[in-house]
Amino acid sequence: MKLSVSQPQLAHGLGIVTRAVSPRSTLPVLNNILLATDEGRLRLSATNLELGITKWIGAQIQEEGSITIPARIFSDLIGALPGNTVDLTLNTRTQTLNIHCGTSNFDIKGIDAQEFPPMPVPDLQNGVELNISDFKEMIQQVSFAASTDEARPVLQGVMMEIGNNEITLAATDGFRISVKKTSLSTPVSAPVKVIIPARSLSELARIATNGDETISMVVPEGRGQAIFHLKDAELVSQLIDGKFPDYNAIIPRSFKTNTTITTVEFQKACRQAEIIARESNNVIRMHIQPQEQGPGIVEFSTQSEERGSGEVVLEANIDGPELLIAFNVSYLLNVLDVISTPNTILATNADNTPGLIRPVGDESYLHVIMPMHLG
Amino acid sequence: MPIKILPESVTNKIAAGEVVENPASVVKELMENAIDASARSIQIRVEGGGKDLIILSDDGIGIPIEEIALAITRFATSKIDSIEDLQRIHSLGFRGEALASIAAVSMLRIQTRSKDETEGSELICEHGKLKSISRKGFPQGSSFEVRDLFSNVPARLKFLKSERTERSRITDLVLYYALAYPHLRFILEMEGRVVLQTAGNGNQREILAAVYDVETARQMLEVNLEEQGYSIHGFCSPVGITRSNRRDIHFFINGRLVQDVSLASALVNSYHSYLMVGRYPIAIVFLKVPPADVDINIHPAKAEVRFADARAVSGKLARAVRLALLASSPAPTFNQTLWGSSNVETKEYEIFNPSQHDFPPSSETGSIEGITTPESNHVQAALGLDEHMPLLRVVGQVGATYIVAEGPDGLYLIDQHAAHERILYEQILDKRVQKKDMQLLLDPILFTPNARETVLLASVEDTLEEIGFQVDAFGPGTYSIRAVPAFMSRTFSLRIITDALHELDDEKSSAVSKEKEEVVIRSICKGAAIKGGTILSKEEQENLIRQLETCQNPRTCPHGRPTMIHLSVDILERQFGRKGSR
Ligand SMILES: Nc1ncnc2c1ncn2[C@@H]1O[C@H](COP(=O)(O)OP(=O)(O)OP(=O)(O)O)[C@@H](O)[C@H]1O
Ligand SMILES: [Mg+2]
Repeated sequence: MKLSVSQPQLAHGLGIVTRAVSPRSTLPVLNNILLATDEGRLRLSATNLELGITKWIGAQIQEEGSITIPARIFSDLIGALPGNTVDLTLNTRTQTLNIHCGTSNFDIKGIDAQEFPPMPVPDLQNGVELNISDFKEMIQQVSFAASTDEARPVLQGVMMEIGNNEITLAATDGFRISVKKTSLSTPVSAPVKVIIPARSLSELARIATNGDETISMVVPEGRGQAIFHLKDAELVSQLIDGKFPDYNAIIPRSFKTNTTITTVEFQKACRQAEIIARESNNVIRMHIQPQEQGPGIVEFSTQSEERGSGEVVLEANIDGPELLIAFNVSYLLNVLDVISTPNTILATNADNTPGLIRPVGDESYLHVIMPMHLG
Repeated sequence: MPIKILPESVTNKIAAGEVVENPASVVKELMENAIDASARSIQIRVEGGGKDLIILSDDGIGIPIEEIALAITRFATSKIDSIEDLQRIHSLGFRGEALASIAAVSMLRIQTRSKDETEGSELICEHGKLKSISRKGFPQGSSFEVRDLFSNVPARLKFLKSERTERSRITDLVLYYALAYPHLRFILEMEGRVVLQTAGNGNQREILAAVYDVETARQMLEVNLEEQGYSIHGFCSPVGITRSNRRDIHFFINGRLVQDVSLASALVNSYHSYLMVGRYPIAIVFLKVPPADVDINIHPAKAEVRFADARAVSGKLARAVRLALLASSPAPTFNQTLWGSSNVETKEYEIFNPSQHDFPPSSETGSIEGITTPESNHVQAALGLDEHMPLLRVVGQVGATYIVAEGPDGLYLIDQHAAHERILYEQILDKRVQKKDMQLLLDPILFTPNARETVLLASVEDTLEEIGFQVDAFGPGTYSIRAVPAFMSRTFSLRIITDALHELDDEKSSAVSKEKEEVVIRSICKGAAIKGGTILSKEEQENLIRQLETCQNPRTCPHGRPTMIHLSVDILERQFGRKGSR
């Protein structure tokens, strides 16, 4: 293998794929990055067997070949080189990669590329085309609600359902649920129903740049994997096996009190209250009070035995009876962060039943939070 | 009635599952069989905690040679014909499963002679394979020799506790049965030593002395109530004798040792206002209810029952206990020992008793000259002196595991996990979170503990509730968790509960052992505390330090490990050669 690439491009590419390197793998080759010539480009791949990322960058290839190189050393080194052309030359006999850039010259020992787990090649014919910015928004609105509890792996994933020219993402950690639906521009051939690790999707959202236009997603039959193909990158994620909770059954259908609040005001009230609330289990109380005349008010209150207390009062459009309900303020902030409409609805029934939050005028997103019970 | 195989229509309805879980369950099944066989005397020999050998001999009716092979056949029983029989049976066995299950996992030898035979028979079975049946002379009765239990099921073997634990389980079990059947003679011999021998003269107090101690046995109040076909009889403690947990509350229902959380609660509630918070009575109560009013067929090891009208039974029990308490006209006696065992004192003791915990030997942590860890202050700390920490300014986080902070007297390295453990622990004990803020769950998490875990869970249910869990029974063998403490909504995992139960199980399980609550709380704090390797924002780091400052014992985690290491200005100057050179 002998080729030349531009240092900034290589450093950028490494920044992307190293996210899939497992820091403490017992398989030495998994600490490495695969470098391979691939139809006029240099392919960089890394995998921790759960998540694999490939990035292609432009290269001038003089001699085909492949090698794996320790990720950490290689990316540190490339990052420290000047922004010129980097020449990479493999000594196949010693499996050593020579890195030459300007007046710098390094030799790094690698491991045979044969030992690197093969990355699946997607059959793009059967892919689902997803609009990048839409899909990134979906991920952002949903994946934070996934759980980190390793004892319940299913909840660490995001449920993806595609059918009827519509895609739905849903995630829940048992305390809250996020659901987002978007219609697809191109019809799908077969419905899809898979659970993708939330972490994989977050990585995908990070790699996908809006310039890439579309993502094609392929779920090869019986492989337990999903492959996301971008213009010059690819992400392979292991799917999570198991039964995702029937979230539709948990989401309440009707509500007694509908409270409409300006999103920004709602967010500000929570931010302020959070400063005290984080000292006492993140509890924020919302006292929703409709008024005889004019708009109603919502009183946000927080209290910490150690630090003090506080109230913020907001005007709101309230339809329904009065209610005092407590939430984890960080859950509220998480969802308000991903709502971009000017107004937000909080729909509630009682202080011990789930509350629903959704953007006003955008039916595609909803979020459900279970309240807290104060002793 | 001869032994015969139950038709499938009946076996389908029998709560099947794991019958033999440990040596004690073998002893239990064999004892129940002997009792069913109208034995007057039951002799038990145990070796190697029951793993090596269990022999149970009785003088009951014996088994005729033509039926002996059926005795070890699954679902073969002489005790019922149809599922309806369960409504009226008075025998302890009915599934025909016990001997088959024991035979499958051991080397089994049965020697028996039925009362109608002149010659006895011997059956040998190895890991479920019938080896031989032969005629031999024996006295009337049966003897079951169970060798090398689980030798063919390594997985089970692995899950057995220490021999000591298994031995105490067996002893407790035999004691309770001896108490329940005071007209039978029991002899229990363990590792060559007779540990229990009852006279079979019907005197329960004599046996109580072996269960508790002579003094407690003397003081135990008698419970007696006969009503509408129900009979409630047994013993409960006067208000002066308490435990820190419910483990010493036992029930026999229609002759069977049964776990029943709601009965235990009813009993504890009868003591309402007589006992300090966190203290529980001890009791062993024998209930007889009409067989039709209780379903015994819900648990594979018959460890649980379901009453047709549970409320009525609890009500009767509560009344019986209250009558006993009133009769003894109790005056609450808050004596020295009672106060002496309150949480605070034992906590201090446990924290600073290094032999009980696996914290690093001081040579390891104190190896750099001049660095002080709290251990060097053990004695002082144990006395409650100089425990507070100075106000610290956070500098940053190292390795996503330690927080570096500056104090008036130098540099502090704080272990974030240990520190958080300490904070949570004190919050729980302090009842600062006794406000019990809970995060409700959208959908209850269902949890099916195994038999052992179920027992442990029952014993710590109150503690879990105090911390802020909402755990409810949800059908046989299943619990539902409907809320978790607010402080751990982000870190909650079912594993935290199971870990706590297992940790509890590893503790020595003698009757008057250390406080269960503490074990559970410590374990939960460990599970809920932020892990090493978690990146914290500056805000979170500061918050952690602020909270640590408010702790009473900020320098150690609840397990006794240090939360912080202090590098004094002096040592810094020395090490950098600034001191002395000037
Ligand atoms: N000690 C004994 N003396 C006389 N007969 C016995 C004795 N032990 C067992 N048997 C006979 O062997 C049969 C099978 O015993 P086993 O314990 O397996 O089933 P069970 O007692 O009928 O029901 P289960 O154990 O499921 O409660 C019994 O029904 C009984 O007839
Ligand atoms: Mg039996």
